[in-house]
Amino acid sequence: MGPPFIGGFRYGLLGLVLLAGFAAVFARLLQLQVVDNDALAREAQASREGFERLPGARGPIVDGSGNLLATTRTVVEVGVDPQALVREDFARIPQLAALLGVPEEEVREAFARPGTRWVKLADAVAPEDYDRVRALGIRGVYGNFENRRLYPAGSLAAHVVGFVNAQGVADIGVERSMDFYLQGQDGWRESERDGRRRELAQFRWREVAPRRGLGVELTLDLFLQAAVERELDRVVAEYRPKSASVLVSDPRTGDVLALANRPTFDLNHYNEAGEAIPNRALSNVYEPGSTFKMVTTAAALEAGVVEPSSEFDCGIGRVRYNGRLVSLPSDYRTFGVLSVEEILVRSSNRGAAWLGMRLGPERLHESAQRFGFGERTGLRLGPESRGILHPPADWDGLTISRLPMGHAISATPAQVHRATMVLASGGWLRPLRIVRRVFDEEGETVVRFESGPSARVLSGEVADRVNRLLERVASPDGTARRAQVPGYRAAGKTGTTQMIVEGSYSRENHVASFTGFLPANDPEVVITVVIEDPQVPGVGSGGRVAAPVFRAIAESAIHQLQIDPPPPPAAPDLPLAYQTPAP
Amino acid sequence: MAASPYHKSISRSADDFSATAREPRADWITPVSMALLGLAGVFFIHSAQAYSGGGLWKMQIIWLVLGAAVYAFVSAVNYKVLLQKAHWVYAAGIVGLLLVMTPLGVEIYGSRRWVDLGVVRVQPTELAKIAVLVMVASVLARSRVEHFSSSLGTLATVAVLSAIPMLLIFLQPDLGSTLVFPPLVFGMLYVSKLSVRFFYASFGVFALLLSVLAADSYLYYQHAYAAEEEPAAAYEDQSLLPLRDYQRDRILSFVIPEVVDPRGIGDTWNVNQSRISIGSGGMWGKGWGHGTQALLGYLPSAVAHNDFIFAVLAEETGFAGSSLVLLLFGVIILNGFRIAGLARDRFGMLLATGVSVLLLVHVFINIGMTMGLTPVTGLPLPFLTYGGSFLLSCCALQGLVQSVYRFRKDFS
Repeated sequence: MGPPFIGGFRYGLLGLVLLAGFAAVFARLLQLQVVDNDALAREAQASREGFERLPGARGPIVDGSGNLLATTRTVVEVGVDPQALVREDFARIPQLAALLGVPEEEVREAFARPGTRWVKLADAVAPEDYDRVRALGIRGVYGNFENRRLYPAGSLAAHVVGFVNAQGVADIGVERSMDFYLQGQDGWRESERDGRRRELAQFRWREVAPRRGLGVELTLDLFLQAAVERELDRVVAEYRPKSASVLVSDPRTGDVLALANRPTFDLNHYNEAGEAIPNRALSNVYEPGSTFKMVTTAAALEAGVVEPSSEFDCGIGRVRYNGRLVSLPSDYRTFGVLSVEEILVRSSNRGAAWLGMRLGPERLHESAQRFGFGERTGLRLGPESRGILHPPADWDGLTISRLPMGHAISATPAQVHRATMVLASGGWLRPLRIVRRVFDEEGETVVRFESGPSARVLSGEVADRVNRLLERVASPDGTARRAQVPGYRAAGKTGTTQMIVEGSYSRENHVASFTGFLPANDPEVVITVVIEDPQVPGVGSGGRVAAPVFRAIAESAIHQLQIDPPPPPAAPDLPLAYQTPAP
Repeated sequence: MAASPYHKSISRSADDFSATAREPRADWITPVSMALLGLAGVFFIHSAQAYSGGGLWKMQIIWLVLGAAVYAFVSAVNYKVLLQKAHWVYAAGIVGLLLVMTPLGVEIYGSRRWVDLGVVRVQPTELAKIAVLVMVASVLARSRVEHFSSSLGTLATVAVLSAIPMLLIFLQPDLGSTLVFPPLVFGMLYVSKLSVRFFYASFGVFALLLSVLAADSYLYYQHAYAAEEEPAAAYEDQSLLPLRDYQRDRILSFVIPEVVDPRGIGDTWNVNQSRISIGSGGMWGKGWGHGTQALLGYLPSAVAHNDFIFAVLAEETGFAGSSLVLLLFGVIILNGFRIAGLARDRFGMLLATGVSVLLLVHVFINIGMTMGLTPVTGLPLPFLTYGGSFLLSCCALQGLVQSVYRFRKDFS
């Protein structure tokens, strides 16, 4: 068919335009549907797929009696999609604001915010309040469920419990070490969303329910912990120390009953904690000083190098040892000849040096190691120091006379506490235990943590002998008179060391400590108090500052743990009839 | 209207008006293609409304039946009648447009494009398209159009005749429909043996207009987007061009979508989602009723069944189905030009050409828009888009072509 109605050129041009137009459309169609098909299909899929994480609630942490220390609460973060609002919704602003507890103007402002699809209205709304919000029928207002960690005890046992940070990562404490059990298993939901980003339940194709985390039961005793915290608060108010730590444990099991530090913080506001976060009972190192003399004495007796009655001349300042002239440390007063027992009771530095020299470097070092010095306690509550215990090869000429009195060694409060527990337990080194068991939602035990294996450090005989000496320390004529508990037999050892400030021993700054237990004859509780740099006129000695803290806590422990007083001196064996006269 | 010099020629050809073809003949290519497209329309209007749950596909069936009736009626009437009655058609078109401004007019989304006739709402713009086509065709058919200089009078008449409805439609405002008229008129002039110089000149004017528009858009961009602080006054209040700012936004969102709508949730949302719909359809499509973009409301339910019906179809039938639809449109358009060639009188030739040009413009602009090739103008897609007035007008137009085919002079 020829071009009957227009010239050949115009006809051709018309055909060309038509061809070009259709070719362009076809090319574009080909590009979109064949070339870019994969990318665009993915884009369609991606905008449609909703992947929602269903957070599994974290398990609770409770003390030995089931008191809540950490729990998880479900809250709803409520917000508004301003673009999904209709006119009637604005009339409901007052009710909404009242339900959320947010000022009306704030809600009004959020409703009117342009160019966004989510404005947060309230942070943590209780689920039942959220139901009421939904009942208002404002489609643009919706919320995201969220599990929030709550610490009902606040700052109580803060360093033990630890916290979970805003990113959901457990940072320190039991929260961290037991994270594996505590953390719930997140579930998820895959579904489709429509053009308004609403979930389409009918297209939900995979849903895995979240699982709640397991609970953790600690060995802590919340009552005792509170008593310790109270006592520390008093110490802080009275002495304004740089720091203070207290540990309380049961020597028979290794269970930690209380552990507290100053400074401390409220777990619910951990972000304001700052310097208070370190668990100083585990991370602070100091020279244990005189408290270490019980280790030296016990080791010398255990090794058989001395008898309890062996006497040493504590009046001389220098002595020839292994062919060298060793200068002995001085005492707070000049003693004469002292027996081994008196060396410990009167806390003679010079006497301790004698004992150390009798032991020799190797045995002294080995004994310190067997008491747990230079090793972490393994409590796993956060960063822990292993302290400093040099091997004999690194010792200088003074070490043999200074280590026995607790100098030239650094230890954490927990290490000193554990060494005391060796004596209190009759010679056993026991691992400390803070988690008793892991339990499920019904309270059934899932994992039980037994006390770890114990190692014998001393014979029971030596331990008893040393303990009797320590009981004399806490008697009216000992250095720790203030540690006496009326009606009970307490035992323990004070320590007062100069702090090292700018590389040398300071005369003003001391670490005052006391570590002890009761009842002395059959110890049920070990208490260690370490107070760094108490602000008192004169020397803030362990006997003056730390011993009273021991006593106060011991009294609480007696009450809470129902520790029996020692039996009265044997009374005449009278027949019952004398007590209850016959009618 | 009808000037006396032409009177003679009209009465001379009037003898042929009643003359029917010696043997009945009909073109089947176009009506079959139309029926296929119309049927596809019903199916994909159903898909498009799956999200909102509307039942407009049933209405569309009614419109299709009515459209078939209109097509049959127009086909049965000898198109040459219109050569004489063109001014009546034209007058009806203008009156329809004026009715929009009366209380009968209905305002939707800030535009007055509809007239409420009680039972049904109609869009006078659709009638105006037919009116201008018939009127201009009749003017050109009766004039000698050759040299630019000697045809100035005719050209001026054509210009005025098309300018009046364009202005009325522009004021509704309906920019997209306004822009349908120039291609229609130029298409008919093109086949009228008008001197090539006219087209050179027109092209120059067109280029000038385009650059003015570009400059205006740039100034608007400076005003609304590049400025540091929020502009105090709307740009439309200070511009000489009678465009609304939302229209400028559409132009800009075509050129620089990332600036106008950086997050793809405003002006470019529809086009973006439409592009995704078409592309995700792939070779064979997702199957009828399985196009997630429309089903889940990503293609907004307000536009899915009308302006963006092609995206729905392309998603569900893929490249295969889209190509078929394009092919059917191509068949109708080319068949129109073929019939224009078969016509042995200029009026019939001009009518058939005009109808094909109109169809071409609608198809190209609408489909181009859904694929991001052309700016969003709101032009519907013939036979597929939901809408009574538009469907009926498309059927009437194709009816004219059929009439040309049937009642053309046969020299063989």
